[in-house]
Amino acid sequence: MPGRGKLSARSGGKGRASAKRADNGRSVSDEITVLVNTLRELAAIRSTAEDAAGRILDSAEGLLAFADQEEAKKAEDAILSIMTACGFHDLVGQRVTKITESLDKVLATRMSAAGRSGKRAERPAKATKAKLTLDGPGLPESSQDQARIDALFRDN
Amino acid sequence: MAVNPSMPVLIVDDYKTMIRIIRNLLKQLGFANVDEAGDGTAALNMMRQKDYGLVISDWNMEPMTGYELLREVRADDCLSRTPFIMVTAESKTENVIAAKKAGVNNYIVKPFNAATLKSKIDAIFGE
Repeated sequence: MPGRGKLSARSGGKGRASAKRADNGRSVSDEITVLVNTLRELAAIRSTAEDAAGRILDSAEGLLAFADQEEAKKAEDAILSIMTACGFHDLVGQRVTKITESLDKVLATRMSAAGRSGKRAERPAKATKAKLTLDGPGLPESSQDQARIDALFRDN
Repeated sequence: MAVNPSMPVLIVDDYKTMIRIIRNLLKQLGFANVDEAGDGTAALNMMRQKDYGLVISDWNMEPMTGYELLREVRADDCLSRTPFIMVTAESKTENVIAAKKAGVNNYIVKPFNAATLKSKIDAIFGE
């Protein structure tokens, strides 16, 4: 999509990376820097989410231990709800991993175009031996809820 | 087959957050004997050392996925009857069907809540 920073390669001849230009006028070298910084940001998001989920769980576990007897059941339900909501860390992590892997591929392509050998390009994307393809969390409009899974499970 | 809260349960997930969540939910359901493994390979080794009454496993792990663990478990005469619940974000129809064909006892889609986990455990143990 021209004009929106698409990372399309213009490979032609050998030359310095800075001499090569992407569609949007940025040098390939600039784009590599952007991609590397983006990957760092994604790693930071994952780390922040993990830290936040861990601290929320610490607090929820503490609350669970101190739950007042009379209100214990209500408190327990609320605390368990907080705990299960911390599963966002797993889902965010899986989505970030998908984005990271896509960007890794783009980065490898750009580094190759720029004539850099970069280890990233040599790293296997992920174990791909005879496995079912995994998509991770689906988008809200396309993923199946538990009721549909239960029906699928019953009918097969 | 009634639920025995003292039975050993194994949680398999590469996210420590998820292990903590499931461990806490199990604790509230009365299960105190809970172990954890970070991937399928570690889980399989643990299962060969200890007799677990229930395995609750994620799917997407490296190097051995939950699906591969399930197949290994079902192919092993000593482990093949261990109840196995898959808890995963993978909701593709073919994956659910593949897991069922491989012998999974139940399938929970993330995000899930305490009631879902309880109902799936109860369903396995006929309560």
